[in-house]
Amino acid sequence: MAYFLQLVFAGVVQGCIYALIGLGFSIIFKASEVINFAQGELLLVGAYVVSSGMFEWHLPFLLAVVLGIIVTVVIGLLFERLVLRRMIGRPVFSILMITIGLDIVLRTAVSVRWASKPIPAASPFDINSGINSGGIHFGTNDLWTIAVTIIVCAALFYFFRYTKYGLAMRATALDQEAALAVGINIRTIYALAWSIAAGIATISGVFLAIDSSAITPTFGSAALLAFPAIILGGLDSVSGAVVGGLLIGMTQILTAGYESHVTNILGAGFHEITPYLIMILVLLIRPYGLFGTAKVERI
Amino acid sequence: MSTSATDKSAQRVDISPPRIMGSLSHWLIVGICLLAVIVFFSTASEDWFTIVNYTLIAAIAALALNVLSGYTGQVSLGLAFFMAIGAYTAALLGGSPPTSPLDPQGWGLSVFIWLPAAGIVAALVGALIGPTALRLKGFYLGIVTLALVFIGQYLFKNLASITGGSQGRTFPAPVFGDYSFTQQNDLLGITLTSGQQYFLLLLPVLALVSLFVGNVMRSRAGRAFRAVRDHEVGAALLGVNLFEAKLGAFILSSFLAGIAGALFASYTRYVTPTYWDLTLSIQFVAAIIVGGIASIWGSILGAAFVFGLPLVIDHFALLPPAGNGTGGLTSGDLNALIYGALIIVFLLFEPGGVIGLIHRLQALPNKFSLSKGEGGTSPEIINLSPDSVSQLELEDVAPAQRENE
Amino acid sequence: MIDAQAKSQQPTPPTTPLLTVEDISVQFAGIKALTDISFQLQPGEIFAVIGPNGAGKTSLFNVLSRVYQPIAGRVMYDGRDLLRLKTHQVARVGIARTFQNLGQFPTMTVLDYLLLGRHTRMHSGILSGGIYLGPTRSEEKRNRSYCLNLLNVVGLQHLHNYPLGSLPYGLQKRADLARALALQPKLLLLDEPVAGMGLSETDEIAAIILDIKEQLGVTQLLVEHDMALVMGIADRILVLDFGRAIAQGTPAEVQSNPDVIKAYLGEEFGEKSPDITSTPTDNSRQTP
Repeated sequence: MAYFLQLVFAGVVQGCIYALIGLGFSIIFKASEVINFAQGELLLVGAYVVSSGMFEWHLPFLLAVVLGIIVTVVIGLLFERLVLRRMIGRPVFSILMITIGLDIVLRTAVSVRWASKPIPAASPFDINSGINSGGIHFGTNDLWTIAVTIIVCAALFYFFRYTKYGLAMRATALDQEAALAVGINIRTIYALAWSIAAGIATISGVFLAIDSSAITPTFGSAALLAFPAIILGGLDSVSGAVVGGLLIGMTQILTAGYESHVTNILGAGFHEITPYLIMILVLLIRPYGLFGTAKVERI
Repeated sequence: MSTSATDKSAQRVDISPPRIMGSLSHWLIVGICLLAVIVFFSTASEDWFTIVNYTLIAAIAALALNVLSGYTGQVSLGLAFFMAIGAYTAALLGGSPPTSPLDPQGWGLSVFIWLPAAGIVAALVGALIGPTALRLKGFYLGIVTLALVFIGQYLFKNLASITGGSQGRTFPAPVFGDYSFTQQNDLLGITLTSGQQYFLLLLPVLALVSLFVGNVMRSRAGRAFRAVRDHEVGAALLGVNLFEAKLGAFILSSFLAGIAGALFASYTRYVTPTYWDLTLSIQFVAAIIVGGIASIWGSILGAAFVFGLPLVIDHFALLPPAGNGTGGLTSGDLNALIYGALIIVFLLFEPGGVIGLIHRLQALPNKFSLSKGEGGTSPEIINLSPDSVSQLELEDVAPAQRENE
Repeated sequence: MIDAQAKSQQPTPPTTPLLTVEDISVQFAGIKALTDISFQLQPGEIFAVIGPNGAGKTSLFNVLSRVYQPIAGRVMYDGRDLLRLKTHQVARVGIARTFQNLGQFPTMTVLDYLLLGRHTRMHSGILSGGIYLGPTRSEEKRNRSYCLNLLNVVGLQHLHNYPLGSLPYGLQKRADLARALALQPKLLLLDEPVAGMGLSETDEIAAIILDIKEQLGVTQLLVEHDMALVMGIADRILVLDFGRAIAQGTPAEVQSNPDVIKAYLGEEFGEKSPDITSTPTDNSRQTP
């Protein structure tokens, strides 16, 4: 029983990480209908900068995180400004591929700068510290992951509901032309969306690093698992990203925890593909996910 | 209505489809290429054969991707999966029988069986997956094909009896009687190295594949593919069965990918399942974007760039080879940086790739002449007089398609 | 009047209509785009559908080309139930349609576009296409020849190798019309064939439409805003407003129909008498 609950806790933590990554995708998609394939590499860059900040340049944790956020936000803004602006109106394939291009460039740049040797993850607390209760170990870092996720979600909720720019972003997501008509500066909105997403990428990168205890250049592919999360939740739903992330994270950890019982049938590594299987099911049965909206197409 | 149909004969243009070997310049180009090939064949070192052979194989795979994504516009990140299917089919059918219980399976069949079978099995898998996957479009289709790669890797890691599990396995080389491509053999008194023998197999295969794809694209099916890519609803209104077109492209693409995968594995001799990963798929997408979407030569150029160039850089030891764990620029890194950046640059400014750039430059003179003559033709030229109408009678030559519903 | 002449040339015994539309209604997202539309098309006639923007012309068009599914009604075409056909089967039964907004296939050459129009009249598939020699080659030759002749007839032959996107708007429309004819259709649906055209271009298209009727005997249904064109060449007209049919008949009949004048034609010809408004609740209306 304790084992199960431990898994549930780990699932929630993993789910929070996916939720954060998914939020990054979701915000950019909501604002500009672009799927940013490079979100995973932004995460990677963020995580590396934070770790370097702490271990190479001996900055305190929080400062390192701020540095990481600044770097990723700058990259995101530059990309949005110089590249994506010119791609407006181009086919989906091209836009998708151009973010993949960014993905490749970032990943290679990281690999060149930091090599493929894993470097330790920067964490605010000692890896081993935590609360033990009822046979379950609640790691401090894990608790912070959950806490920060809740804070980020709350902050975003407040932002979208009550601030001027948040409302403007929602308006842009619903109808760009109408937003333009009421005087919303779409360019600012896009830049803002990318900045927020980049910042969240760094935060999620930090937590993912802690979770994996070390970072390697292939880190970014973990972010790919956020795709099933946002599809499950619904591409155009920000709260969907969170719910989807939690569900996917939970499923993955539980599967990993219990799959040793069924190795003869399922073999090893089944938990790595459960998110994708769920995603395929969702796409076949209810393509717009749990909270997404089915669009009425007028030809 | 004055100008009669007979006046038009002076303006009549050549009605036959553009022929591949039609003009003298084409024959000249072919001749020069043939000469270059012969010179290369007799003088190049084994290292260069390796570079060229890998490029030829990659070109086949790039063509496969272009058929599906470039010509038909279906986003796909799943090429690696179908290549793997082809490779493991080849391994199962052509691999040497296991000598110990832990060895992967192999039935020792001839290359004339395992190579086509690789394509056919991959095509069958495509036919199975296609109807479901192709219901989705754009990003969703891309993400499903991405999932396919991961699911494939999971399967390949676990089906050890075929794939050798995480440790991988050997793949069959073409064997003709006593002669295996893995050794030097004598043919008609000439000693051929392994690289040369593979070259003699790969070049004709690529040529055949290119010819086939080129023919498809200049016929009815190819026009349908492009119509699907450009505007699905419009294509349907013109009578194109969207499902059949997309599925047809998917199956053809899978077939070619299977062939390429089998050839790659055969040439590399030993491959682990981790090879067929998302990066591989993405490299081919980069190849067709850089080389030229919906272009045969574009596929070949792109493959040369993304797969051949790093090998060339390695050959000249310009940069340390990839896998060097201490950081700094490796040849693989430089290549990835370049093609990653080129994807961005080309998609921004020249979505047609290098080939598109060439075409655009070639078309410049035409643009100037068009602006002179395009003011619209006078009403007299537009005439549906009985003379011209009779030319439109085609019922006896091309009876209408039987309407089946 | 052209329609009077055409009328006198029409065979006197009643012919079976090529198209019968009965009580078609279309609805999406709570908006009823069409309500109980009924009409018939006689073979070989030119039938126009007019009405202000939002009247439902495009919806009707899309029902006939099987892009929309109506919520009620029947359509019989050439003895078969048209509503049972899927979008891509429409071309196969001989219904061709032009596009209102062009630019669907910008990179396709004019000739390829026409050949695409003949898609349902050709047979080669992937395998035979890939091999090419033999049946595919002769099929391509025959059809290229046919399409080039057709282009010759509409005066676009010299542009056959140009991508559609490089042509000026008027020529693109002409190419589109040629592409629709390339199908050898029984019924030709024309979607605003002279939209955005000047006077002389409109006359050219009008001439082509009349020639299609007189030389090829193809039945045509056109949706249009240009009153001069419609009144000049149509045999019969259907007037829509807010999704309903408000008049049907010959141009002369329609022109003199008070409902039509009230709803549409009055404003169209700029006879803006301050009393004539389209708001039924306006109490200040006085008949001039």
